[in-house]
This record gives sequence, structure tokens and C-alpha cells, in this order.
Amino acid sequence: MNNVMTKERLVQILDQAVQDVTECTAGVRLFQGGQPPENDLCTIQITFDKGFRTSLTLCADTRLLYRMACNSFHEESVSPEDLEEFSKEYFNVLCGRVAGAMFRATRIPAHFGPPVFYRGSYEPKGCEIQFVLTYRNEYSEGAQLIHHVPCSDGDGVISNEE
Amino acid sequence: MSKRIMVVDDSRLVRVQLADLLEGTDYEIAAYCRSGEEAIAQYDEVNPDLVTMDIIMHGMDGLEASKIILKEHPDAKIVMLSSLAYDDTYEKAKEVGAKGFVDKPFHREQLLKVLGEVFC
Repeated sequence: MNNVMTKERLVQILDQAVQDVTECTAGVRLFQGGQPPENDLCTIQITFDKGFRTSLTLCADTRLLYRMACNSFHEESVSPEDLEEFSKEYFNVLCGRVAGAMFRATRIPAHFGPPVFYRGSYEPKGCEIQFVLTYRNEYSEGAQLIHHVPCSDGDGVISNEE
Repeated sequence: MSKRIMVVDDSRLVRVQLADLLEGTDYEIAAYCRSGEEAIAQYDEVNPDLVTMDIIMHGMDGLEASKIILKEHPDAKIVMLSSLAYDDTYEKAKEVGAKGFVDKPFHREQLLKVLGEVFC
């Protein structure tokens, strides 16, 4: 994504989307910084298949996603299935917000596929990390938003393929 | 009399959120479909006053499903509910014949405004 805008601007767009969508969808405030999440993790990944050849991955403490899911479903506990449902919808909305901001900045329409959920950590194949944003909530539960690009397109080349 | 809504979205969270937001209004959720294919199959039986349609779903996406429903039921009222809230998607939604567009994450005011406009 970042050969059409500065890395700083892209980071700003991603950070704004994370803050807004997390608070609006799950009533949780996230702050940049802290240590990466370590132990019990879940990962959600979305691949952009039109507009920008890139992918976004959210790797988070399961406790954080669980807290957010409970808030969203207005329940004290949620099943593993609901945790997955919440995580996918949350990340879908977050990436939609990013695609909208990117369109307004570049006039390039982006499209992405349905989110994929993994228990544990997951790194997309054939990709390399461009940058990582690390977050914590007030309970020190963490998450990382990771921006990947295909290995052969290390500079994040734009594809306008339909 | 309540307007009957068929919700098409692959996320149960959206059903919960919509049920919350529509509580105490003139709208009721009459059916819930988890895919475009399911919506097409159930439309006749449910015969809703309005369909809310997600865009990104596994299998057939919401734009394609809307096209097929509107081909068979030209009077169907479809509102797109999507996180892809920008001009390009708005245009595509209009092209297939959607009557409105609500951004995710939802806000009660925007949702009720768009639904109200459909029945004006």
C-alpha cells in the first residue's frame, strides 16, 4: 500500500481504524505500545485481492478478543464459536474502514476476501512484514496489527487487476 | 404493523447487533440467512418487506445475491450493510438496485434513517 502514500500516513490510517472500530464495536480502548502478545493467541487475517496486493493480520491475546466479544454480544461469557464469529466480523469492519480511508486518499478501490481465523499465531505464506503496530488495553492484554506484502513486491506495488 | 426484515449476513454478531438496535421500533427480524445462496432460496417463503444484505460473504457475495433477488422480485427492497463504506461500493450497490447503504459499524440513527427512507 505504501508506494502510493507515505508509511506515516498509512500508519495513521491503520491506527485510526483500530482505535475507532475497537471502541465502537467492542467498547474497548486500545493504546499503542507495550510488549507483543505472547501466550494464548488468536490470529485473524484478511487478504486484499483487488486494489492493493497486501494483507493485514491481527494477532491478539485470546483474553482481549474474549473481552471484546463478550462486550459485543452483551454476554458474560461466549463460546469458542462466538469468539471466532466476533473476531472475524470485527476485523472485517476494521479492514473495511481501512479500505474506505485508502480509497479517499488514493481513489483506488480495494477489495478483500472474507477474514480467516486461526487459533495461535499464523504468518501468511509468501509474504514479508512491512510494519507492525502494537497495542495494549488497560488490562495489559495486547494485540498486533501486521502489514504484509508479497515477498516479490517488497515495496507494496499496487495492482489494479479486477 | 411492523415491517419484516430478512437479515443476510454471515456473522451472528450482526444479527445480535441489529436485534438490539431495532428493539422498540417498527421493524422486526423475520428471518436470518447466512449466505447469499440461502437468501435467494428463502426469499419467496419469507416474503420480507425489506432485506439487509452484507457484501463480503463466503460463496456468493451480497451484490450478486441482490442482483438475482431483484431479477426475480423487482419490487424487493434491499439495503446494503457493509464495512466497505466508500464511493466505489456505493455506486455498485446503486447499480444492482439497492435502495440504501448502511456503514458498519452500525449507528442506530443512521440505520433507522436509511430504513425509514426506503419506505417513504
